[in-house]
Amino acid sequence: MTAPAELREFVAAYLVEAEEHLATANSQLLAIEAAQRGGEANPRAVRETFRSLHTIKGLSAMVGVEPIVAIAHRLESFLREFDRSGAPLPPQAIDGLLRGVRAIEQRVAALGRGDIAQEPSDELLAELDSLGLARPVPAVSSRTLDLEPALYGKLAPFEIDQIFRGIALGKRALRAEFVPSPARVAEGLSINSVRERLGAIAEIVRVLPQALPVSPDAPGGLSFVLIVLTSASDEAIVERVGTALGAIRNIAAELSPPAPAEPELVSEPPPELALDDGFDVQTRRGVVRVDVSRLDDAMEGLSALIVTRFRLARAVASLGERGVNTRELSAIMLDNARQLRDLRAAIVRVRMVPVSELLERVPLLVRGLRRSANRAVRLELEGGTAELDKSVCERLFPVIVHLVRNAVDHAIETPDERLRRGKPEEGLLRITCSARSNTRLELTVSDDGRGIDRTSVARKAGRPSPNDDAGLLDLLCIPGLSTRDIATTTSGRGMGMEIVKRTIVDELGGELAVSSELGKGTTFTLQVPLTISIVDAFSFECAEQRFVVPVSMVDEIIEVDPEGLAPLPAADDGSPRVDIISRRGMALPMIQLAQVFRLKKTQATPGKAIIVRRAGAPLAFAVDRMLGQQEVVIRPINDVLIRAPGISGATDLGDGRPTLVLDLIALSVSLSALPKAQGARS
Amino acid sequence: MTLHVVFRLAGNEYAIPVDAVLQMETFSGATFVPGAPSYVAGIVTVRGTIVPVINLRARFGLPPLALTLDSRIIVSECAGRVVALLVDSAREVLKLDLAKHQPAPGIVTEQASGFVHSVHSLGQRLLLLVDLPKILGEISHEHAPRSRLGDGSETPQLPG
Repeated sequence: MTAPAELREFVAAYLVEAEEHLATANSQLLAIEAAQRGGEANPRAVRETFRSLHTIKGLSAMVGVEPIVAIAHRLESFLREFDRSGAPLPPQAIDGLLRGVRAIEQRVAALGRGDIAQEPSDELLAELDSLGLARPVPAVSSRTLDLEPALYGKLAPFEIDQIFRGIALGKRALRAEFVPSPARVAEGLSINSVRERLGAIAEIVRVLPQALPVSPDAPGGLSFVLIVLTSASDEAIVERVGTALGAIRNIAAELSPPAPAEPELVSEPPPELALDDGFDVQTRRGVVRVDVSRLDDAMEGLSALIVTRFRLARAVASLGERGVNTRELSAIMLDNARQLRDLRAAIVRVRMVPVSELLERVPLLVRGLRRSANRAVRLELEGGTAELDKSVCERLFPVIVHLVRNAVDHAIETPDERLRRGKPEEGLLRITCSARSNTRLELTVSDDGRGIDRTSVARKAGRPSPNDDAGLLDLLCIPGLSTRDIATTTSGRGMGMEIVKRTIVDELGGELAVSSELGKGTTFTLQVPLTISIVDAFSFECAEQRFVVPVSMVDEIIEVDPEGLAPLPAADDGSPRVDIISRRGMALPMIQLAQVFRLKKTQATPGKAIIVRRAGAPLAFAVDRMLGQQEVVIRPINDVLIRAPGISGATDLGDGRPTLVLDLIALSVSLSALPKAQGARS
Repeated sequence: MTLHVVFRLAGNEYAIPVDAVLQMETFSGATFVPGAPSYVAGIVTVRGTIVPVINLRARFGLPPLALTLDSRIIVSECAGRVVALLVDSAREVLKLDLAKHQPAPGIVTEQASGFVHSVHSLGQRLLLLVDLPKILGEISHEHAPRSRLGDGSETPQLPG
């Protein structure tokens, strides 16, 4: 029996939305925990968590996933108490809540695989039920504030609590009022500037808009009441904010309380938490959630279009060669090229996701590791605003997981050991992301742990000790190398650095580097392209075989002047010649691509040299002739039989045959790495 | 009874289960891949995927043969890998009784460099059943192409 199409679509949408809310719940729970460590409550995060779980419950009920409803309901009702009262969550509750969220995640994942969501175990339900025993201490207080009941009623319990805590700390609780008017706007005074100025010397608890009768004093019929906590004097406030604030009044009631606040207002849930608000996300305008596979389909269609265009271009060219006037056709081709470029850019944009999406699960991962590895770790994330292709994002995530695991498990010392070494007890794990250029993203994962001991890694690998970081990376990426004697629970298995390198370098065409200082820490630097699959590339010919190389890798293309060639003394081992050519007065090495690839030379002298920059040093590859520049669709080369350094994929230039896409930077690196590797082997 | 594709190679008849075959195509040449093993004729595109072509004559150590109109590639799948096998010709699909497979005599195994795991007699004909996983090679990373390019002493050394 198959579900009707709409229902299937609906379940797909449900999964996407549920995952999103689960991610929110996780990150907000971690925020609550972080605030707790600093001795603070984070009522906003409690509310966000509550809302996410509430929405999950509502959605799950709609698609009839009862097990999830049962879990979400317990989590939600526990949180509701705390959300209403504003009381801090008991620290031990976070674990239970995270476990509950995890249990929902597992069931959502099962649904995604087409399985059914399992009923929650009795233990889990019992644990979640027992959460509820930790009722919040009611924040009801006998104290009251000297504030109009209408305003008092608008304050959330946690805000009232905040005010009393401030008073207890010796601060003054004040009520100030700002009435906006065109005249004041002309003076540069708006509620925002007032808020900003006041915020510099006072803690703003709440800004409450208030309707007033329209009058010359209040032309907008509106004023803002600011409830603040401060240790500054009234004079200091007036000096800071100006006289725009009307009378300032201390609201900390010292004498008999004023008229009691309307208590029923306080006990009612705030209106935005009404039970039927679970689907507000669906009313968000102008946002479409799309399954990635549909984007892939669109991309695939575009790829086919580009290949067809090449064929068309060839056909036009051959018409032209036969003397047919192709001017109009050529003009159309130009238009067509531009349209294809625009379309490609549009599809690529759709596929881009913010880097923050890649990093949002890291805190949860670190939290888990912190526990199992018994380490104290502080995580610093610097996501930036860069965006990258969803498919790159997906490939990158396991790599980050691996690097983070390694750092927490092996690099960062136990708290005792750190103290002995004179380091702060808490280790630092830092992940940064920044766009290097329009096409590349740089990601670093660094720790302040023990660093990598080159000698001991070398001994493990049975190789001589490397004398630089590049050599160390080569060692770390040897398949099967493990520098740990005992597999730990978290990272004993899983993928090694070898896979990290394969993903970053071979699959994504990126770069990987490490720098490590013994006793100080280790930094892994990853550079990856923001998008894959379609690139702007030069096509050229070498020994009658055609190749393409992405434009982004090429520094320059120059004409080779046979007169200006200075061959290096030929080694007697028959290795290909390295020539020295001069470019703008600078000498640079040139290698015959045909010789590197062992192609049969048909042309005595090279026509062109493609210059690439590897780690800053330029290197030229001699080729026969350049053919042109075009956008190409890169197909990955997956089979191990045909994977080779310097070859990043294949493309179809319209002749129905694959053309190799070269990564000349990787090729030059592999060439220069070889003598070292050989030395290591002997 | 299992369906098998029968193909010819240097006068002998070989068979491969249909289950392992994705499609068969005529062959008009592949793109040379520098650094690939010598028995890899190159790459071709099959339904948008880049696939290596294994020249079975070269793989079996048989003398090379110029391409003819009969040359075919058999696109096969094995353990998640897709490869194309280049053969002299392939034009027959036969039902074979698996129970009648016999272990390959030593001489056959030797001639086919161990790539034939059993034989099947069908009247006058003798069909050799090929060992696809072995042909693809359980390639470990030691044999991965990365080191292959650097194997020879002809690798250029960069100055400096």
